[in-house]
Amino acid sequence: MNLVVYILKKDVMYDFLLDIKNKFETYVPIKKDITRFKILDNPKDIDFSENSYFPVKEHFFRKKEVIFQFNGSNFLPVELKSKNKIFFGLRRCDLNAIKNQDFIFMKQHNDPYYTSQRKKAVLIGYHCTKALNKYCFCESMNLTDYYDLMLFDKTNYFLVDAKTEKGENLIRKYKKYFKKSNYKISDKDTYIKTRKINKKDISKFYDHKDWDKGINLCLSCSACTEMCPTCYCHEIHDNTEINNPRNAKRIRSWSSCQLKEFTSVAENHTFRDTKEARFKHRIYHQLQYFKERNKINLCTGCGRCITGCPTKIDWVKIINEMR
Amino acid sequence: MKSELIPKKTRILSNFRETSDIFTLILQISGSYMPGQFVQIGIPGIGECPISVASYSKNHLKISIREVGKVTRALGKLRKNSFVYIRGPYGRGYPLVEFQGKCLILIGAGCGVATLKSIIEYIEYHREKYKDILLFFGYRNINDIIYKKEVNKWKNTFNIKIALSKENAKTCLDWDSGHITDVIAELKLRTENTGVFICGPPKMINDTVEILKKKGFNDEQIYVSTERLMYCSIGMCCHCMIRGKFTCTDGPVFRFDEIGYYKND
Repeated sequence: MNLVVYILKKDVMYDFLLDIKNKFETYVPIKKDITRFKILDNPKDIDFSENSYFPVKEHFFRKKEVIFQFNGSNFLPVELKSKNKIFFGLRRCDLNAIKNQDFIFMKQHNDPYYTSQRKKAVLIGYHCTKALNKYCFCESMNLTDYYDLMLFDKTNYFLVDAKTEKGENLIRKYKKYFKKSNYKISDKDTYIKTRKINKKDISKFYDHKDWDKGINLCLSCSACTEMCPTCYCHEIHDNTEINNPRNAKRIRSWSSCQLKEFTSVAENHTFRDTKEARFKHRIYHQLQYFKERNKINLCTGCGRCITGCPTKIDWVKIINEMR
Repeated sequence: MKSELIPKKTRILSNFRETSDIFTLILQISGSYMPGQFVQIGIPGIGECPISVASYSKNHLKISIREVGKVTRALGKLRKNSFVYIRGPYGRGYPLVEFQGKCLILIGAGCGVATLKSIIEYIEYHREKYKDILLFFGYRNINDIIYKKEVNKWKNTFNIKIALSKENAKTCLDWDSGHITDVIAELKLRTENTGVFICGPPKMINDTVEILKKKGFNDEQIYVSTERLMYCSIGMCCHCMIRGKFTCTDGPVFRFDEIGYYKND
């Protein structure tokens, strides 16, 4: 963490937001029926009482992405348009989820579509002061500091920590709103007590009978993967224009491992054909497979797969109760 | 903009019908590839599919494709000098360097023979580096035999056994009738200093491995080629994952104990 932290008073924050709104497309959490990240209109709408129902991953890893266009003999360039965006009020779990996706799409693979969206975005975090709901479990997911700016809520004002040059530049540009402070951010500010997963390694529990508690309730509806801020599985399909079939597009879109089609091949063969295997695959990919490969947890413990599940399958509880 | 997902335009040198539903394309490429690897071949607007290589050469690439879906049917209609769009070669092939100086048993069924053809061409190129080679090919009936010409040629240089599962014994003069697994079960095979490479449908692979285990082969000697639904082939889309291993980048050839026991994944 930086040696210098800044102070942003709460009433000044509204002016700051109105100011950056002119230069950036600013997304803030707004609570209507559910909390979502929406384009800022009135700063007074901002609501930090709960985490957004959906993560912001669709802004970077978009639901539908045109990989290339084709006119029958040549590839046409795809314009990678992106706007300067600011995401204000991201939680630590979501910032770490963005870190994991950055790792996949920018470090492991040089994915131009993701990079073009991601590199123009500024991430401003809002540090939780307590566990957001009874389902989140970020304490056991070893989260790290990954943000441009992070806001620590101190009732009347925010302490602002800048982690990257992007963040520093933003403060420098709008320095009239910020005051320097000698405060040192310590573990006291960053520690939040949540529930935990009591098992470090779940590999030997694969055939445990307790999984049935979750599997019996699972509807294979794929809500969990849709809401997950880290899930990145996708499929690629071709589209042609109906009145000009030579014009083709290859499109990458989200897909879900919870659906049977995920592993279906020609002649109607499905490799992962049982709900049991699909249910466990998601959890093992999040907690084990990705870690084995890349030494970091894919799951960040936001708990959306439980809050968003229509049957509220609390798989963390199921794992914790396994003996 | 550079993306790993954009394919390369490739000329078809010939399109040859092996059987009623299997055809072989010869593509003009430059660059090397190993037996067991695969390429993503497709036509923009229709789609892409992963097909394993069936040759060993530096200036052309042969692939044999069975017409089962939208993309493979479209590919089957292409003629000489038209273009396909390929990406690759991708994946880890058979560990042929590791098995130098040893005997090899190659077992294939149906379209799986295509992958083995690539190994055979590799061995022919480096013949002095390998000892005895045993070939086992399984087909459904006479009309399903792919590479008829090559099989006749291989008869002179390798020990070869062919079994036809849907043909009755009377018509099978040169060949055995029944499943290739039955033929293997009846034979005595030497286990020491031998590697077994298998390619075929999942059920055939499992049956064969069971028989080989009874004969005294262990997991380290058996290598299988797997297939999964694949989109990206670069370890990004996750469709081909088998217990955390990517078929596209860690495979498609696995040592049997790496993935073999996971029947439902």
